[in-house]
Amino acid sequence: MGTKEQIKETLYNVAEDVLEKLAFIFSFPEDERDQMDYTTAVATRVSFAGPFSGALVMAIAAEALPELAGNMLGIDEDEETTTEQQHDALKELINVVCGNLLPAISGKQSVFNVNMPEIVPEGESIIKDDRPQPVSVAKMDIDEGQCDLLLFIDGETAIQAD
Amino acid sequence: MSINVLIVDDSGVMRAMILKSLRMSGLPLGETHQAANGQEGLETLSQHWIDLVIADINMPVMNGEEMIERMKENTEMRDIPIVVISTEGSKTRLEQLQQKGAAFIHKPFTPEKIRDTIKDIMKLGGSDGNQGTN
Repeated sequence: MGTKEQIKETLYNVAEDVLEKLAFIFSFPEDERDQMDYTTAVATRVSFAGPFSGALVMAIAAEALPELAGNMLGIDEDEETTTEQQHDALKELINVVCGNLLPAISGKQSVFNVNMPEIVPEGESIIKDDRPQPVSVAKMDIDEGQCDLLLFIDGETAIQAD
Repeated sequence: MSINVLIVDDSGVMRAMILKSLRMSGLPLGETHQAANGQEGLETLSQHWIDLVIADINMPVMNGEEMIERMKENTEMRDIPIVVISTEGSKTRLEQLQQKGAAFIHKPFTPEKIRDTIKDIMKLGGSDGNQGTN
C-alpha cells in the first residue's frame, strides 16, 4: 500500500474513470474546496474486509441522481427514473469504484470480500463512530453539483505515513 | 442462429446496462431473461432454453460462484457458456473462475468488450460486430 497521497491520487483516478465509463459523467477534482454538506446529499456506503478492512462512502448532490441513473439505464432525458432506480445506480457505482480501488492500492493478488452497498438513511451520519476520520477524500465537481468519496480504513496505522 | 441470454445480477441498473450493451453489440439476440441472484438464475435455467449466461459474482441469496458450481454439476447446464461480469480484481479469484470455464469481463465494461468476449466464448468468429445485423 502506498502513502496517503498515492491513495488519494488513486481514489481520484478510479472515481473519474468509473464515473465516465459507467455513468457518462465527467468529474473535475476540486481538492481545495470544502467538503460537501452531507446532510443534503445522498450517500451510499460499502464496507470491505481483506488485507485491510474499512469502508468507502460516496456522497453526491441529490440533483445529480436523475442524470446519473438515466445515463446508466440509457433512458431518454424526458423520461423519469424512480428513487429505487437512482439508489440502485448509486450503489452499483460505488460497488464498481470499490472493486477497482482496492486492487489498485493493495495489489492484484489481494483478495477482498466486499459487502453489499447500502444507502445511508436520511438523517444518519455518513461517518460511523468507529471510523472517525477518513484516510482519504476525493472532492469532485460534476455537472449537476458535487460528489465526494471518502475512504475509511480500520486501524489507520496500516498505512505508511506521508 | 439467435442467442437466448440469461443475465444474473442483483442490480437492476446493471442488468439494464448489460442488456443495452447486448442490443448494441450486433449479436443475434433471441430471448433475454433476467434473474437477481444465483438461485433465481438456476430456476430460470431449468425453465427455459438458454444459450449463454452472463452473471455477476457478489449477489445475495446465492452468489455467482456457487451458481456456476451448481451448473457444472447439472448435465443439462454444464456446457452452457458463462461470462462473468464483475468488479472482482483479485487475480486469485479470477483464476478460480477461469478454471470453472467462465470468461471474465471487468466492470466498467464497453459494449465492444462484451461483444468480443461472447464471440470468443461461443466461437462465433470475427469481432467487427456487423454480422447478423442485416
